[in-house]
Amino acid sequence: MIRNYTLKSALLGASLVSMASMASAEKISIAIGHQSMCTDTYTAGIVVKELGLLEKYLPTDGKYADAKYDVSWADYSSGGPITNQMLANKLNFGVMGDYPLIVNGAKFQETDSLRTLYVAGTGYNLKGSGNAIVVPVDSDLYSIDQLAGKEVSTPVGSAAWGMLLKAMQDNNIPTSEYVLKNQSPAVGAANIAAGKIDAHSDFCPWSEIMEFRGTGRKIFDGSETGVPYLHGVVVREDFAVEYPEVVEAFIKAVWEAGEWIREDPMQAVTLMEGWTGVEKEVLYLYFSEGGHLTLEPTVKQEWVDALAFNHGVLVKEKAIPPLDFDAWINEDYIKAAYADLGVDYEAEKAVVVDPLAANKGLPMEIWHSRDGVASFGTLPEFLKAMADIRATAALVNATYVYDVETGLKLFGKTAFWVKSGDDYATFLRKGEAEAYAGKTGGALVSFDEAIADFISEG
Amino acid sequence: MRAMFSTLWTDIRGNWKRMLLHGLIFALLFQVLMMIALIVRFQALPNYVTGYNWVANVAWIIKSTPSWSDIPPIVWEEWLLEIGKMNYDYGMGISEWSLNVVPSRLLVLFILGATVSLCMALTRRETCSTANTGTLRATTGLGAVLVAMTNATMSWVVCCATPSWVVGLAMLGLGVSTSLAMETMGPVLTGGGFGLLVALILFLAWHKSRPEPEPIAEASHA
Repeated sequence: MIRNYTLKSALLGASLVSMASMASAEKISIAIGHQSMCTDTYTAGIVVKELGLLEKYLPTDGKYADAKYDVSWADYSSGGPITNQMLANKLNFGVMGDYPLIVNGAKFQETDSLRTLYVAGTGYNLKGSGNAIVVPVDSDLYSIDQLAGKEVSTPVGSAAWGMLLKAMQDNNIPTSEYVLKNQSPAVGAANIAAGKIDAHSDFCPWSEIMEFRGTGRKIFDGSETGVPYLHGVVVREDFAVEYPEVVEAFIKAVWEAGEWIREDPMQAVTLMEGWTGVEKEVLYLYFSEGGHLTLEPTVKQEWVDALAFNHGVLVKEKAIPPLDFDAWINEDYIKAAYADLGVDYEAEKAVVVDPLAANKGLPMEIWHSRDGVASFGTLPEFLKAMADIRATAALVNATYVYDVETGLKLFGKTAFWVKSGDDYATFLRKGEAEAYAGKTGGALVSFDEAIADFISEG
Repeated sequence: MRAMFSTLWTDIRGNWKRMLLHGLIFALLFQVLMMIALIVRFQALPNYVTGYNWVANVAWIIKSTPSWSDIPPIVWEEWLLEIGKMNYDYGMGISEWSLNVVPSRLLVLFILGATVSLCMALTRRETCSTANTGTLRATTGLGAVLVAMTNATMSWVVCCATPSWVVGLAMLGLGVSTSLAMETMGPVLTGGGFGLLVALILFLAWHKSRPEPEPIAEASHA
């Protein structure tokens, strides 16, 4: 190995003058690949970058006393290129979703000398929300079993693709019975808006962007597969071994980013909208209390099981290399980071948030364009407030309610509403709303009709 | 056998300038054709260009990769130029599709162009019959298509999918499942294409190096 380095140094000597500075002892280059169009990566990506949280925690004593840090961020629209850049050692850290993470680990383990370590998560949804199948808003499709014989697009290789395959398998729709098309999120969203495709499966936050813009409607949520949806941080092993304290600093930054969002979600998403271009109302659906995303970086056994399951899907579909999870997943850095922060790692690791239980009883919300977010304990109170706002023609950015079946936070305007006497209930899917209406003797009403019930004449 | 290689060497020496030129033209023309294919397929012109410091990047990869055997596949994927269409409808913009100029693929295409050039030069001298010439040209074409197809470097931002040559096929209309099923066949198809061309070149050189058959003597009317 030493002879290899010597030989290479000799061969490259003349051409590496500029590179020499990158490897000098005093200057530590930290390059991070993140995705500003993937909400679940924000606490290890755009938030850490914009708030300068990594710089806050970078070590400055001991062997780092004379270190000069050169932190650089590269934004990607998918995880695949991040892995390629990590292989080329142009990125030290990568932030990505579950399927690309697995590809990252497997591709590195396929090499003789290079490895990555999965060192932390960013956030999760226990049941798999974040991925979803969307149809054009005027489509007559309301459930996944109606997709037989239809054209469905998805970004192949993504978590949404994996979810689609499993969902179709679970619903006994073989691949021969539907036309699978490969479409990027932007193209898929545009085709949904134009009604050019029957359905599009995508990851966070694309489905909600389509719902918010009024072009698409969810017919299947990733939570129905029951497989957790998570994102995480990988780091090149050679970098982690050389600078373990930098890896710990990065994890501390991830943890603080989550705390910062939790402290004031409305302010956080407003700033994030400026950093990413994704509408704040969509981001609020993810990052507010009761939102799709639980911001927490611990490595839980459930996540390892989910990643192993996803690896099985990829092996079946794309024949990716094997992945030794024991060698890849490393909790040493996150445990050290938590210890430094004075946070109980094991206690946090033991907590798993299930939206159905955690969101029970959470208030409905109206985001008034001038007054901000207001909360309402019951649906009639919420609808009355909406009626009052409409009476003054004030502007509302968005409204949020919860799905009775899953506990998921929904836009009020896209939920299916059931009126039973004086009671109201909201649902993600039409079928479940109809079943509830049948059971309670109620009827399906539109959001506008429900609000109209509270508009007083004169 | 010796005569065959001697003939081949003579032909290469006689055609090397043309082979170099054809290799260069083929590699560059292929990039232009891919760009046209993308523009036609997506009905849009590219709106961004990004250059990469390929030399520095390769030097950095060599320096920072411990195992020699890991270096070639990583360098193989290094880009020189990216020309594509950025979609600004969502977020800060997403590269929807792009043509990636990859030096390693340019080299393959250059070799392909030079090989095809040699094949055509040898075929031109093959005067057995028109039917034979047609077969030889078809074989050359098949070999070239196999190699060229597996060295297409168009990419379509299928989020989270690792870019590969089959993305080009999928973009051009082939079903996703079929495309993915073909992914692992890439090296085999490239090898098959080059194998076909090399076999053809050896056959033509062998044919050319054979002693001319003696003309059949006509019966005399003594």
